[in-house]
Amino acid sequence: MDIRLVNLTKIFADKTSEVRAVDNLDIVIPSGKLIGLLGPSGCGKSTTLYMIAGLLEPTSGQIFFGEEDVTSLSAEKRGIGLVFQNYALYPHMTVKQNIMFPLQNMHLPKAEILERTQKYAKLVGIEDLLDRKPKQLSGGQQQRVAIARALVKEPKVLLLDEPLSNLDARLRLQTREEIKRIQRRTGITTIFVTHDQEEAMSISDEIVVMKTGVEQQRGKPQDVYENPVNQFVAKFLGTPPINIFTGKIENGGLYIGEEKIGESSLDDQEVTIGVRPEGFIVSDEGPLKVVIKHVEHIGRDISVVATHPNSEKETFRFIVESEIKLEEESEAHLAIKPAKCYVFDKITEERVQ
Amino acid sequence: MLILIVLIIAIALVFKLLKKKEDKTIENLERCNNKEYIETSDELIRKEKTIKRTRYAISYTFLTILALFMILPFYWMIITALKTQAEIDLFKPTFFPKSPTFENFKYILNTKYQLAVSGSSTLRFNLWRLMFNTIVVGVFSTIGTLVTTVMAAFAFSRIKFPGRDFIFTIFLATMMIPGEMMVVSNYIIVVGRLHGLNHYWAMIVPFLISVYYIYLLRQNFRQIPDELYYAAKVDGTSNLKYLFKIMIPIATPTLITISILKLMGSWNAYVWPMMVTTVDEMRLISNGLMTAFSSSDGRANQGQQMAAATAVLIPLLLVFIFLRKYIMRGVSRSGIKG
Amino acid sequence: MVEGKKGINFLKALLYLSPAIILMAIFTFYPLINTFIISFKLDYNDLTGDYSGWGFANYVKVLSSAVYKTALVNTVIIAFVSVPLSIILSLLISVALNSIKPLQKFFQTVFFLPYVTNTIAIGMVFSVMFTSADKGLINTIINSLGGQSVNWLGGNNNGITLLPNVFNPNNQVFSSQWFTSMLVLMFYIIWNSLPFKILILLSALQSIDKQYYQAAQIDGASKGRILTKITIPLLSPQIFYLLITSFIGAFKEYTSVVAIFGDQAQPVGGRHNIATVVWFIYDKMGDASIGAMGLASAGAVILFVIILVLTLFNNLVAKKKVHY
Repeated sequence: MDIRLVNLTKIFADKTSEVRAVDNLDIVIPSGKLIGLLGPSGCGKSTTLYMIAGLLEPTSGQIFFGEEDVTSLSAEKRGIGLVFQNYALYPHMTVKQNIMFPLQNMHLPKAEILERTQKYAKLVGIEDLLDRKPKQLSGGQQQRVAIARALVKEPKVLLLDEPLSNLDARLRLQTREEIKRIQRRTGITTIFVTHDQEEAMSISDEIVVMKTGVEQQRGKPQDVYENPVNQFVAKFLGTPPINIFTGKIENGGLYIGEEKIGESSLDDQEVTIGVRPEGFIVSDEGPLKVVIKHVEHIGRDISVVATHPNSEKETFRFIVESEIKLEEESEAHLAIKPAKCYVFDKITEERVQ
Repeated sequence: MLILIVLIIAIALVFKLLKKKEDKTIENLERCNNKEYIETSDELIRKEKTIKRTRYAISYTFLTILALFMILPFYWMIITALKTQAEIDLFKPTFFPKSPTFENFKYILNTKYQLAVSGSSTLRFNLWRLMFNTIVVGVFSTIGTLVTTVMAAFAFSRIKFPGRDFIFTIFLATMMIPGEMMVVSNYIIVVGRLHGLNHYWAMIVPFLISVYYIYLLRQNFRQIPDELYYAAKVDGTSNLKYLFKIMIPIATPTLITISILKLMGSWNAYVWPMMVTTVDEMRLISNGLMTAFSSSDGRANQGQQMAAATAVLIPLLLVFIFLRKYIMRGVSRSGIKG
Repeated sequence: MVEGKKGINFLKALLYLSPAIILMAIFTFYPLINTFIISFKLDYNDLTGDYSGWGFANYVKVLSSAVYKTALVNTVIIAFVSVPLSIILSLLISVALNSIKPLQKFFQTVFFLPYVTNTIAIGMVFSVMFTSADKGLINTIINSLGGQSVNWLGGNNNGITLLPNVFNPNNQVFSSQWFTSMLVLMFYIIWNSLPFKILILLSALQSIDKQYYQAAQIDGASKGRILTKITIPLLSPQIFYLLITSFIGAFKEYTSVVAIFGDQAQPVGGRHNIATVVWFIYDKMGDASIGAMGLASAGAVILFVIILVLTLFNNLVAKKKVHY
């Protein structure tokens, strides 16, 4: 079952102010896929998730599950599973009781309840913990219980709210894979919300990048990374982040400062230029003259901190192969790979080239 | 009785609704499983809205009925006090006084009327004297309690000394013991040995200490970070100065709560003051009210009785209106009344 | 924390604690022990301090006295009827209050109002409202609903008695008069105890994480199941706290009895049949005869033991049932 959001808007208003948490969102979430809703905190992604879940009522717009409009349907009737950011496991129930709870609410026969509980406990790998209370579990274990509880009623949609944010780095990696595996195994349409781009890129079939309640871009993670539609998306995706320079287009040439780094067919104008850290080539003929500040060896590559007068920040960072020798506090010349270089309108920040 | 009936009806209604609701959930899930629900979600939404509205209606009805029961005694007290004797004696009582009169209040408030009482019973209700006694006892016991409480709470929270936790535990343990255990001997001490009968101090001194308030204030003091204390020490502040300049100002809301609860406690004190006073001039307000209008003898003038009750309650109601925040804070932390 | 030499700190602490310790010694610790001792002294004279011997005679006398038996039965009934009823009622009110938005503050204020009252004054109001005569408020309501006046507090021979088959009007103690009087008392006690309970439960309800309710909604729990499976278990610490304090409170019920039934704890025509165990203690203290103080002491010690057992039992149950 696919999910469609049509002109979805949510306004939080109190006496003094109103906030458009989600603004005219139009998304189609294809059946059986794992979709990541990505954006900085406060971008409306959790609000969107809660509206899909039925816990928040949209101010306007519609939500379709398949062909049916479920906008005003309450949460318990939508047949969805939701994993909360803090898991929201019932503290007074054991793991088993937590997982059984949704099934008991459906008034299923006892045998089936037990069978399904076992099945899903096994799926997430917590069958040994069934008699513990949530307090006696680690964060990762609680996470698994929460997923089992969400899946046990075999919903058509699984929603995950920042599923990894409460885990430590090692567990995060492991759980990431786990979620992917479970999603593949069950083939359930899954939407998850995160502010961590790496997390979203690594497991999503598709990502939706949001900013202040507005969808910025949607697509396969790699496509979005390689073809950001605007400066926000370009900045938000990728670690280390993209480097931004001020520049201009003049007579068919693309300049950072007064240094010509490429060609452009656009009219003459002031622009902002973004270059991915991997988009630099160290070459004596390179047009960009920079001062090397710092060289960090990160195995196969080296990560270099350098300064350039037209860099948006004081320093910028690029990554090159470790064979290349660079001296700290020395000058170097860089060329730029055209495919890793994006040109944005100075004012609208839209991508122009 | 009525409250029971209402309660039963309310519970029955709630359960009926819940049952209905549960059936619906099953129905929906069946639909869900048969992929049917998608066709009928419109209808579902409509049903859901009706249920939601019904539930609200029931909540509000339930709350309104019970709120009326909560207010009813206050209402009946005031309107009875405003009625004339003739109206009170009507066979069918009126729910609103036909010709409101302040006669009963004038009677209660004016001490001159005291001796000129009709009929056989003599009214010995001197409201002003009773209030004065209550305020004297209340104010002095409040001030005393504040002093002992602040000192003890300071020692328990800021001074490290051997046996501190032991002493504090013993203090706390006394809270579990019913006051009646102490009252018997206290009566012998205060009245028998110290001859405190009909003295103000007899109603004040035994109540100058409250373990619960020490506990409350100690919690408050402990929240003040140690750094503040060290900073003060570095500046050469003495313990006493630190207590007065830093800790007491920070704990002021708690001290206000304690004062209000203590004053209310005096206003409500009944048993002990009854024991240690034998003359009307020394009685506190609750005792005065009780002795003047012994309620089950049927002779008391209802209008005057209710006017007196109103007069006793008005200061409390004023406290409630203006200082509710402090009372609620103190009460919700734990539960000792007065 | 004041650091420093132990000896000096001890003296300092002693200085700050001296008023508390002296007052506690005179008015708490000494009386506690003294009451125990007096309860074993026979024919104790509180004015002279004389007594005729030691023994359990005071306890035997108290426990075999008809009035004390009545008092004990009354007290147990008050505790086991008023406590569960008022907790259920306050739970329902708190849940209803928590579920509404408009007027919530208003209702909250109204339900808290009876907390700030004078027990004696409102007790009088109740006795006026429930007066046995036909002109009483409650009887008028009953009359207008087609019923007959009830002889609530005695004194109206035309009023009907409730459940005459169960409570024989000729029974010396548990007459039908006793029954209606207890109803009024129970009504008053519940009315009086609701505000505190509602305040505690409502503030506990408001501090429950909303996510549990959202999770329960996602899990498809009906409102009834949310109440019984989520809300009540999460409130269990507060419910048990209220259970303990209310049971103790119920066993110490006194002022409300005196407020409605006078210091003889009886409806018109009754004989101390609304007495409670605490009433018994105070009644004996007011008795000037030799040895009465010993009986009062014995009564207090019995009360102490009852409350101790109750508290221990409650704690035992709480350990098993309460989720913390």
